[in-house]
Amino acid sequence: MSLVRRWLAQFEWLWRSSTLRLATTLSGIFALGFVIAIFVALTLGQRAIERRVDTTLAVLAQGAVVDQASGDSPALILRALDDLADLPEQFRRAVSRGGGTVELHDDLMRSDLWRVLVAQDSRGQPVMVAVPVEDSADAQELLAKILWTTAAIVIVVALAFGGWAGVLAQRRLARINTTLDLLASGDFSARTGQAKSKDDLDDMSQNLDQTAAELERLVSQTRHLSASIAHDLRTPLARLRAQLEMLPDGDGRSAAIEEARGLSDIFDTIMRVARIEAGQGRDGFEPVLLGALVEELAETFGPVIEDVGKTLTLNLSSSATVHADRAMLVQAMANLIQNALVHGGDQIALFVNGRKMGVVDNGAGVDSAQFAEIIKPMVRLDAARSTQGSGLGLALVRAVADRHSAVLQLEKNDPQGLRVTLNFTDL
Amino acid sequence: MRILLLEDDKQLGPWIAGGLREEGHVVDHFDDGKDALMAAMGQEFDLLILDRMVPGLDGLAVLKSLRASKNNTPALFLTALGEVDARVEGFEAGGDDYLTKPFAFAELSARVGALGRRREGADVSEPGQTTLRHADLTLDLLARRCERQGQPIELMAKEIKLLEYVMRRPGRLVTRTMLLEQVWDMSFDPTTSVVETHVSRLRAKIDKPFDQALLRTRRGEGYVFGA
Repeated sequence: MSLVRRWLAQFEWLWRSSTLRLATTLSGIFALGFVIAIFVALTLGQRAIERRVDTTLAVLAQGAVVDQASGDSPALILRALDDLADLPEQFRRAVSRGGGTVELHDDLMRSDLWRVLVAQDSRGQPVMVAVPVEDSADAQELLAKILWTTAAIVIVVALAFGGWAGVLAQRRLARINTTLDLLASGDFSARTGQAKSKDDLDDMSQNLDQTAAELERLVSQTRHLSASIAHDLRTPLARLRAQLEMLPDGDGRSAAIEEARGLSDIFDTIMRVARIEAGQGRDGFEPVLLGALVEELAETFGPVIEDVGKTLTLNLSSSATVHADRAMLVQAMANLIQNALVHGGDQIALFVNGRKMGVVDNGAGVDSAQFAEIIKPMVRLDAARSTQGSGLGLALVRAVADRHSAVLQLEKNDPQGLRVTLNFTDL
Repeated sequence: MRILLLEDDKQLGPWIAGGLREEGHVVDHFDDGKDALMAAMGQEFDLLILDRMVPGLDGLAVLKSLRASKNNTPALFLTALGEVDARVEGFEAGGDDYLTKPFAFAELSARVGALGRRREGADVSEPGQTTLRHADLTLDLLARRCERQGQPIELMAKEIKLLEYVMRRPGRLVTRTMLLEQVWDMSFDPTTSVVETHVSRLRAKIDKPFDQALLRTRRGEGYVFGA
């Protein structure tokens, strides 16, 4: 079963090759043309032979005087029209049509195929003249065999060559495709590795490699830059922290330390979002059972939520395993829980349904027109301005979703509140 | 403890060195990676505190060279590069802990304490030990059972992990960040009071019904278990 499926998959893969399809279509058209040409040539050839035989028969008839006495010779029957009684029935029928090809069941004078013509003899009397045409029919048959065999070989070769070219082209295109996929997933070291250029596909591969190299250079530059920014910003923050800690104890001191900590938290989150968005490949990805992850989150955050007088429930209908960076998912969910805790109502639920995971609350919710807006970094809706938070939470969740090719969905909860879902559609 | 500090920042370096000396450590302070490496090769230290981005030689390169020459002195990275990748790099180079700037001095101090004890092998209990005892409190990690004064105490999975972590470090300051990293595996701050809430729940179970508190808060710094 799996073998058949593998073949089917292989076939599907091949059939997606435009080169192969082109080659097959051309071979098909070529084969059809070939068949028609052979058919026409054989039919026309047959007619030409028949006309020549008829001419010869007419000439033979004209040079002879036909009466009752004149007999048949082994390769020629020449009879007056009233002297056909001893010949097979088919001859008389041919005579009534004025001539034609007669095919017998049994040999007459060692031939079962005769060409019959009604012509005039030297006295102008209508006579029947007939010759065996088995030899020419044999020749015709042989010709047909040769033509059909040649055609079959040529078509098979054309198909095989087309298929082979298709497979080769498909392989090269597959390499280009794989490289593009890897690049898209963030592996900027992916290359097609095409060294020499023989044709347009090679040119394309080389162009792709150059573009990828440029991309890799830019990304590493950006990364280096972000490391420098991190260093240049964290160092003064660290100094600030150190100086604050050296101040004498007092209310102002701890408040200032708190502010400084808030500042570095915001900066950390920005760096984290940038880092996740610029993420490379799927290093650190592992199979993660969503149900187990959410259960653990519930155990971690449940008491926190209960302590502020709200409730946390867990809805696990079915749980799938996704390929993911566990720490990132935990952080994304923690952000969603934090959002629900700050902006949502008094009932918060974590849910997992197949490849979907998310947080739902029964708070004021968000106007659906603003769904697209609130996942942008730094956006905090007017309604939320009175409560704490820097507005980076959902941007991070979105970055995590993007990194996992998951869809971040915001919906209105029924009857009220917000439902945020991470949908891991990618298989 | 004798500590090697590699930190080039003109303010942070003296602040860290001064703070550690105040706590009774002997600190050799360097602001150049090569000098620090030379010193670490030639002398015996109990702990290395290395900044990642310093002139001369990066802290990471210093530690790699030392580990290559079979020097196993515990090392703590201080860094302005906070990202997960940078942390992983640090651990792969042979670092034992990783602290992102800015940090509270208490945080650094707690981690210095942790690494120092690890070296001495003193009161951090054997990692393989499955039954932890302190005074009248017993935690059986295999049976996942906890009792105090013979009374069984029901604990949640995270509470067991939390209790195990602090019981293995009696008398030592354990910070909020250390707990987040070690018990919850979170290298980020979840803003909500996860640690505080769970510590207070754990306390309600292991301390409140009894006359003597074992898990105590050191305000603004962290928690200390036992003595």
